[in-house]
Amino acid sequence: MTKEEMLLTGLMLTAPERLLGALSRALSSELCAADTQKNCLPVIERAVKRVYKDETPPSARERDAAVARMEEAGIFAVTLLSADYPAALAAIPDPPPVLYGMGNRALLQRRKFCIVGSRILPAWAEKTGRTIAEALSKRFAVVTGFAEGGDRAAIDGAIASGSLICVLPTGVDIAYPAAHTALRREVVKRGLLLSEAAPGAKAQKFSFYARNRILAGLSEGVLVLAAGERSGTLITAHRALDYGREVFALPHNVGAAQGVGCNEMIKAGAWLCTSAKDVFAAFGMETEESPAAALSEREQRLLSVLRETGGQHIAALAERAGIPVFEASAVLSSLEMKGLAVRAGGNRYSPV
Amino acid sequence: MIAKIICYALQGLEGVPVEVETDVCKGIPAYEMVGLPDTAVKESKERVRSALKNSGLLFPMNKITVNFAPADIKKEGAAFDLAVAVSLLKASEQLIGANVSDTVFLGELALSGELRPITGLLPILISAKGHGFTRFIIPAGNASEAAYLGGAEIYPARTLSEVVSHLKGEAQIAPLQTVTFVPHARRRQTADLKFVKGQPIARRALEIAVAGGHNLLLVGPPGTGKTMLARCLPTVMPDLTFEEALEITKIHSVAGVLGEEGIVSERPFRTPHHTATVVSMCGGGNRAIHPGEISLAHGGVLFLDELPEYKRSALEAMRQPLEDGKITVSRAGGTVSFPARFMLCASMNPCPCGNYGSADKLCTCSPAEIRRYRRKVSGPLLDRIDLQVEVDNVSYDDLTSREASEDSAAVKARVDGARAIQRERYEGAGIHTNAEMGEREIAAYCALSAEGDAILREAFERMQLSARARSRVIKVARTIADLAGSETIEPAHVFEAVSYRIYDKLG
Repeated sequence: MTKEEMLLTGLMLTAPERLLGALSRALSSELCAADTQKNCLPVIERAVKRVYKDETPPSARERDAAVARMEEAGIFAVTLLSADYPAALAAIPDPPPVLYGMGNRALLQRRKFCIVGSRILPAWAEKTGRTIAEALSKRFAVVTGFAEGGDRAAIDGAIASGSLICVLPTGVDIAYPAAHTALRREVVKRGLLLSEAAPGAKAQKFSFYARNRILAGLSEGVLVLAAGERSGTLITAHRALDYGREVFALPHNVGAAQGVGCNEMIKAGAWLCTSAKDVFAAFGMETEESPAAALSEREQRLLSVLRETGGQHIAALAERAGIPVFEASAVLSSLEMKGLAVRAGGNRYSPV
Repeated sequence: MIAKIICYALQGLEGVPVEVETDVCKGIPAYEMVGLPDTAVKESKERVRSALKNSGLLFPMNKITVNFAPADIKKEGAAFDLAVAVSLLKASEQLIGANVSDTVFLGELALSGELRPITGLLPILISAKGHGFTRFIIPAGNASEAAYLGGAEIYPARTLSEVVSHLKGEAQIAPLQTVTFVPHARRRQTADLKFVKGQPIARRALEIAVAGGHNLLLVGPPGTGKTMLARCLPTVMPDLTFEEALEITKIHSVAGVLGEEGIVSERPFRTPHHTATVVSMCGGGNRAIHPGEISLAHGGVLFLDELPEYKRSALEAMRQPLEDGKITVSRAGGTVSFPARFMLCASMNPCPCGNYGSADKLCTCSPAEIRRYRRKVSGPLLDRIDLQVEVDNVSYDDLTSREASEDSAAVKARVDGARAIQRERYEGAGIHTNAEMGEREIAAYCALSAEGDAILREAFERMQLSARARSRVIKVARTIADLAGSETIEPAHVFEAVSYRIYDKLG
């Protein structure tokens, strides 16, 4: 870490909570405005003076101690002055002056694509999200949050390849929700955790909003798996539009409350996305055809019924395919395993 | 003069012979009882005194000592009344010439001299017969229960005076006629699968569960007929054999819940409320050790409605009996073992609001809430439930109107077929059903084809099934193959078995 980076990180770590927001804004605006970042010590000092006014800012000793503590915890800091600070993020109006991270720092250099979705989403959307994340993770680092539902689907799809960046609203050393403690360790091991909040910081109402701008800022595009009419996921999508990123959405059934936001976005001009191919096409990337799974005659018949009806109760599916219900449940199990169907709860199945 | 009369005390399901010795001698009138009698036994003093007086018999105004031997086991309840009265009569020389030495006297006395029925009569009779006793005088109120014990002279008496005239040879009581056991002698159940509309998956799971002796979990929103489905379980289970019926009757007799019919001819269906404690589930009690719900459900079904609402401790206590088929209860009064081989059927909502997976209602629970709700049921308990199915609330009027639902008798016929295959397979292996298979039996009887093994491997990777779930899936697949009459386990059987383990995937 250079001297300037140390200073910047130390200032952000030691700032009292009431001044943190102001300091962050002052630093990022001053640094972005500066023509050259070669010698920015005076720029930083100017910002500090503006925020602290008459108070004495933390001493060099305090700052260095805070940085040492952070590094001891296995956390690194990426600052606006760092060479690997993502250029796309630096280009947004209010980039975080410092990002704290745990895990594979090299992922910051990859092309990034964001997948988000509301916490409660239909089973098919979750499954589709997982599949898309898995496919995208071959070309992009998948960027997502750390919540249940949509975020979780993206994490599950991408974690195997390790191309996964989770941006947290809390400090990177905190698992939120607490149920994700083991998952957090896994992401640190294979992927990358990022956060604007200092280590140890708890989630606040505004931190989710602030986090969403980083999700959009980091990525070249954003895919929304599911969003209700007033879902928080829409904030990420709106930020993405503000920053000029590509926005994708999964289409949902008319009247499905969990998909109103997605359908509205498509109406407003977002890319309609049903598979990773749509994302690759939008970015002008070539796609290879995945070989079709070998299906038995019964599987074929039930799959076509499933696709015709767009998802139904198992009894209705069996009736239309003309096979006994318990045999249908065996065939659907097999289709589920081949990734062509998904159990939607209440003995209903949906095609994927 | 000293008189000795044989009576019986209960220890768990076993009868223990107790000699009631009475000595009437000259001295200041007194009435003492020794030999570890509890309060109910001691109170028999006053019952016996009044009963003698009101039967026109003489209560001796001498020094009376009653001893219960052996002195080291605790005697409980009112079943000793008749023995005390008869020994008193014998000792005070009011029964000269009557032979009472090899007769077992059982019964509680009313003040009027009438005999009241006692609990636990059948286990006592069975034990006593094993000890070589063949003559019994019992309360007439217990006659229906005693009638199933063949090879013994049993005299049901209504009053103490009847007993006295019988012993004196003045008026013989007609000995009880042995009744042969008929399963479903009194079918009171109105449940039948033909009344269950729709629910093809749950019906199928019910059939598999009974055929292989597997435990069953029904998951569904409120009011979708989970309880009704569960009530149908006994109707498709195989008929009780006499030995099974006798064992169940013993338990019910000890617990004092035996009905009018005297013997249990239907498989029990127990539905303890979710406020049930460990003691009420597993048995115990501070004085006599009573069988708990899991023992009362022996040979039948234990239905736990709204599984997550039960006390964690009560559920966890069931884990060991679920494996062993019996429960051993230890108390200060001794250690007792009750059989507890039952089929567990549980039901629960899919989430706190109940609408998860519903077609027309939106579930408002967050994933964390759902997980918390489901976590109330521990993994080890879920692991012992082989079949987990969803019961849904979709109305299938169009489907059901065309084909009438199958009735219980048709399903039972298929179950009996599958059970017959299992009986033959496990001849001499010490187990009876697929659910009881251990790892050794699975290796011996559940050979999977290469294709089947590949499917199972894929299922585990793709669906993230727990390692412990593997043998459960194989056992269920074995039962499905048995129902289909197939020697080998085909891929379709494995696929179907996998579809009944929804909760392993939900974590």
